[in-house]
Amino acid sequence: MELFKPEFGLVFWMFLAFACLYFILAKWAWPFIIKSMDERAALIDKGVAYAQEAKSKLDNAKRDADALVADARKQQADILRDAAKMKTEIIEQAKAEAAVEAKKVTDAAQVSIEQSRKESEHQLRQDVGAYALQIAEQVIRRNMSDDKAQRDLVKKLLTEVESSN
Amino acid sequence: MKKVITAIVALVILALMAWGYAESAAHHGHGDAKVNPKETIFEHLGDTYGWEVPFSHTKKISLPIIAFAKGGGLHCFMSSRVTGGDTWQDGDASFKIPHEGDYKGKLVQVLDDGTEYRPWDFSITKNVLGILIAAALVILMAMSLRKWYKREGMKGPKGFKGMLELVIDFVYTDTIKPIMGKDAPKYGPYLLTAFFFILTMNLLGLIVIFPGGANLTGNLAVTMVLALITFAVTNLTGTKHYWKDIFWPDVPIALKCPVPMMPLIEFLGILTKPLALMVRLFANMLGGHMVVIVLILLIMVFAQMFGTAVGAGTAIISVLLSLFMLVLDTLISFIQAFVFTLLSTIFISMAHIHEEHKALTE
Repeated sequence: MELFKPEFGLVFWMFLAFACLYFILAKWAWPFIIKSMDERAALIDKGVAYAQEAKSKLDNAKRDADALVADARKQQADILRDAAKMKTEIIEQAKAEAAVEAKKVTDAAQVSIEQSRKESEHQLRQDVGAYALQIAEQVIRRNMSDDKAQRDLVKKLLTEVESSN
Repeated sequence: MKKVITAIVALVILALMAWGYAESAAHHGHGDAKVNPKETIFEHLGDTYGWEVPFSHTKKISLPIIAFAKGGGLHCFMSSRVTGGDTWQDGDASFKIPHEGDYKGKLVQVLDDGTEYRPWDFSITKNVLGILIAAALVILMAMSLRKWYKREGMKGPKGFKGMLELVIDFVYTDTIKPIMGKDAPKYGPYLLTAFFFILTMNLLGLIVIFPGGANLTGNLAVTMVLALITFAVTNLTGTKHYWKDIFWPDVPIALKCPVPMMPLIEFLGILTKPLALMVRLFANMLGGHMVVIVLILLIMVFAQMFGTAVGAGTAIISVLLSLFMLVLDTLISFIQAFVFTLLSTIFISMAHIHEEHKALTE
């Protein structure tokens, strides 16, 4: 039974082949392959973790963005409301200011009117005084001659004054 | 429908082939050359000095013979000089392959007095060439994967390389690493080499024609070398506690003191472990090959005994059964390579017991 008797030559070659195979593969193949596989496995694990993290981050970001948008909407409404309020306020204020200004203008006009009235009164008084003095002078001059004539003169002068006024 | 037609066509072809086989076998049988099952089986399973050319039983690929003759002198010549049964005079020594006697089928040196002497024979026989082819294939596979990683970096390999990576991952990450722990990078390369070498040899053995067909792992010499290497690695790297557990195990004193019963059993255990490795792989692979050959031989035997028709009938059953056996053998090839690796891993890791591990297990 040849099968059960190990041949020395075959044992020798088998050992040699296995030894060579082992040294070649242990030096160049297996450690490198295992290292590469481990590295890739680690990379994939890291990638999965990263993707999960990114997804949760994205979800958070979405939520944040939604909150921001809602906040902005609220602020916008507030601002619009404030603006409307401010607008009416400004209009009211302008109206009030205009009224005040108008009153001021009318007041100033009244004052100037009053002043010019007073001035004209004063002028009138002076004029009247001057006329009176003139008349009196003329009267005094004529007085000496004739009573009737004097009275006529006064009458005439007064008429003059009246007509001139 | 298509499948049915395919099946019918396949069966018709099978039947025709079977008829042809059986007829040629029956005609063969009428001559002098009777079918000798035992001889045929061992011829196919054994080692030869040449390698049969595909589909021819007589033509052989010539392989180099390397022998140290008696009285010194290295002789190298091609096997075709002697496989025909001739005696070849190489220098001062003559060689031949006898057909009977103690050295049947082996190269012998014919001494001057006519006696046969078996020289130191380092010939590249069919099995040696098969081993070298298997080793070359393993190197090619591993290096192609290495090249892929060098070139593609982090990209996952596809196709055959992807399958290779899957198997490496299965053997190393899922089997060796959990068992060996921190020793895995140290012994992983040996175990992976053993696994892929055995697997390649197993599968090559299933391919009927060159470069397959050599019964490598079904040869005791091959499995013996593999088992001896595991034996050497186990015992040469064993820790103090491993040896203490063998020669002074934790058992009652009576079992080890005057009569060292337990140490003896433990010591026998050291020897039976590689023996089991050797015989398991050998027997499994040999058995698979033998069943297939026997099933095919049944055709010839029945055709010779009962005529062509019976032989043809047998052929259909035999071919289907041997097809089934070959598929099963493919599975066994993987399982046996894995079992060898797994057991080697366990044996080596058992030789690396440390005190803290022991404390944990107790």
